[in-house]
Amino acid sequence: MKRNVQVLLLLFLGVGLLHISLLTDLYLRYVREGLRPALIASGVLLIALGAVSAARDGFPFNRPRTDGAQDHDDGHGHSHAGGPKVAWLLYVPALTILFLAPPALGSYTASRDEAKAPKAPSSSSSGDSLFPALPDTGVVPMSLNDFSSRAVWDTDRTLKGRTVRLTGFVTPGRDGTWYVSRLVISCCAADAQVRKVRVHGASAPPADAWVTVTGTWHPTGKVGTDDASPALDVTAVRRVPAPKDPYHDMVTGPGGG
Amino acid sequence: MHGDVEAEEAGGLRTAVRVSTLALVAGLPVVVLGGVAIVLRPDITAALDGRAVAAWRTVFTAIVIQGVPFLLLGTVVSATISAFVPAWVFTRVLPRNPALAVPVAGAAGAVLPGCECASVPVAGSLMRRGVPPAAALAFLLSAPAINPIVLVATYVAFPGNPWMVAARLIASLLTSVAMGWLWIRAGREEWLRLPKGPAGHTPGASRAEEFRVSLQHDFLHAGGFLVVGAAAAATFNVAVPHSVLRLFSDSLWLSLPMLGLLAVVLAVCSEADAFVAASLSGFSPTARLAFMVVGPMVDLKLIALQSGTFGRAFAVRFSSATWVVAMLCSTLVGWWLL
Repeated sequence: MKRNVQVLLLLFLGVGLLHISLLTDLYLRYVREGLRPALIASGVLLIALGAVSAARDGFPFNRPRTDGAQDHDDGHGHSHAGGPKVAWLLYVPALTILFLAPPALGSYTASRDEAKAPKAPSSSSSGDSLFPALPDTGVVPMSLNDFSSRAVWDTDRTLKGRTVRLTGFVTPGRDGTWYVSRLVISCCAADAQVRKVRVHGASAPPADAWVTVTGTWHPTGKVGTDDASPALDVTAVRRVPAPKDPYHDMVTGPGGG
Repeated sequence: MHGDVEAEEAGGLRTAVRVSTLALVAGLPVVVLGGVAIVLRPDITAALDGRAVAAWRTVFTAIVIQGVPFLLLGTVVSATISAFVPAWVFTRVLPRNPALAVPVAGAAGAVLPGCECASVPVAGSLMRRGVPPAAALAFLLSAPAINPIVLVATYVAFPGNPWMVAARLIASLLTSVAMGWLWIRAGREEWLRLPKGPAGHTPGASRAEEFRVSLQHDFLHAGGFLVVGAAAAATFNVAVPHSVLRLFSDSLWLSLPMLGLLAVVLAVCSEADAFVAASLSGFSPTARLAFMVVGPMVDLKLIALQSGTFGRAFAVRFSSATWVVAMLCSTLVGWWLL
């Protein structure tokens, strides 16, 4: 890879990283929020490196080298004074994030995995209730995480008779069933885990639409065993705009409905 | 004068021939693949509907983006070592005897905060600086597995189970030291295509210039291989539904190698793999430990990075040996502690 092409690549990649992390929130489709400073720093460093290289090596045309170090191929596929050929591949992600940022993972990924509830917060040896009682307000907004672990593992049935509100995107299931779902990531989209709650009593909005559903727990299977699965009898379904960070399964603030 | 022009013309002709040969060599597979793609398009689109492709692109992009800062950190450290740290520092700090240097280097892995992308270029520059390969390899394996960030992530992912953290630390350290010693006994220099770096030390070039050239070269080189590894890992990630795994969770003897292989193909960052392991709730703790011990040491992304830095002959042998040793160590430690 010629040195001027390297400069171009460094600049593209640096600008691409700044584009998705500093100028827009696109990075949230791929990685966790905490990586933002690292991404910005990387973008700045790459641009600086590209700028220094442009000044030293000449840009857009290479300055002929005077120190006699010619671009030579040393027999393992790349010339050292030039640059490794494999680096051409970096143009793919660099241009992708600049011009063709792929969407966040959605119902396709969620539909391919079973709904699985995270285990109880700590070991149940003490016999105490692991799930604190829900706040005594009318409608309780909950994260899908909290709702599904209570629905599956909470033998004290703190959900019983309560009206809750959940927010997530629509994942169609078999035979017209559907789920309100979330993907939760801990580092990047490659480790996404599925949280989904089966919805009863309402017809399915289009796949991947973001909705807020209000309803009551629909007990399914024997609570406290792997048989149980989270489900909700829904009284209201409302379309909402997609959140900024699609992987952050949090309680949404009180809004109409 | 006349001769010069002729030579130049001949050179021009040669370049033209070379370029067209290259274009042909590179173009032919594209044309063939394109033809196949056009003929089989209905089948391919049925198999991979547009949403699968979108998911693949997202996961691929995510792995690359997530790897770039750590790769950059690793190459900055390695370029600093190459340009500013004199070789005698390492010979003085490390015990002269390679067999003793291995555990020291393995334990030193705890200081490089980052995931596996960072450790490959650093290990390469350590070897260039005269550190015995066995010690550099022990560092390569232990750094992504036992640094504080990873251990804290493991503690958070397994609340109320500090033994998991201890088991991970011990099994990872054990594996890296065992691999270092194994290299002393059975490793061959010729497998290892020692990283040469941009030009070694060019006389006359300033330290800063040396730093820049080596940083740029290492980053672009390793970055290209990161892309290869990310593409492979994204393919498995999208092609293999996780629910398939549950078929194997019942048998301990099947689940252990299954999770060991899963760690290789998923190529989850070592800072995140504890959370993935925690979510594999159907599996025994020992199998989950194996997932966390293997992941930072052997995975598709790392194999690609290692074959870029040390050569394919090395990467294949080293990764398969590491996989076996890591499985043994985690079985042993899991049986003892978990």
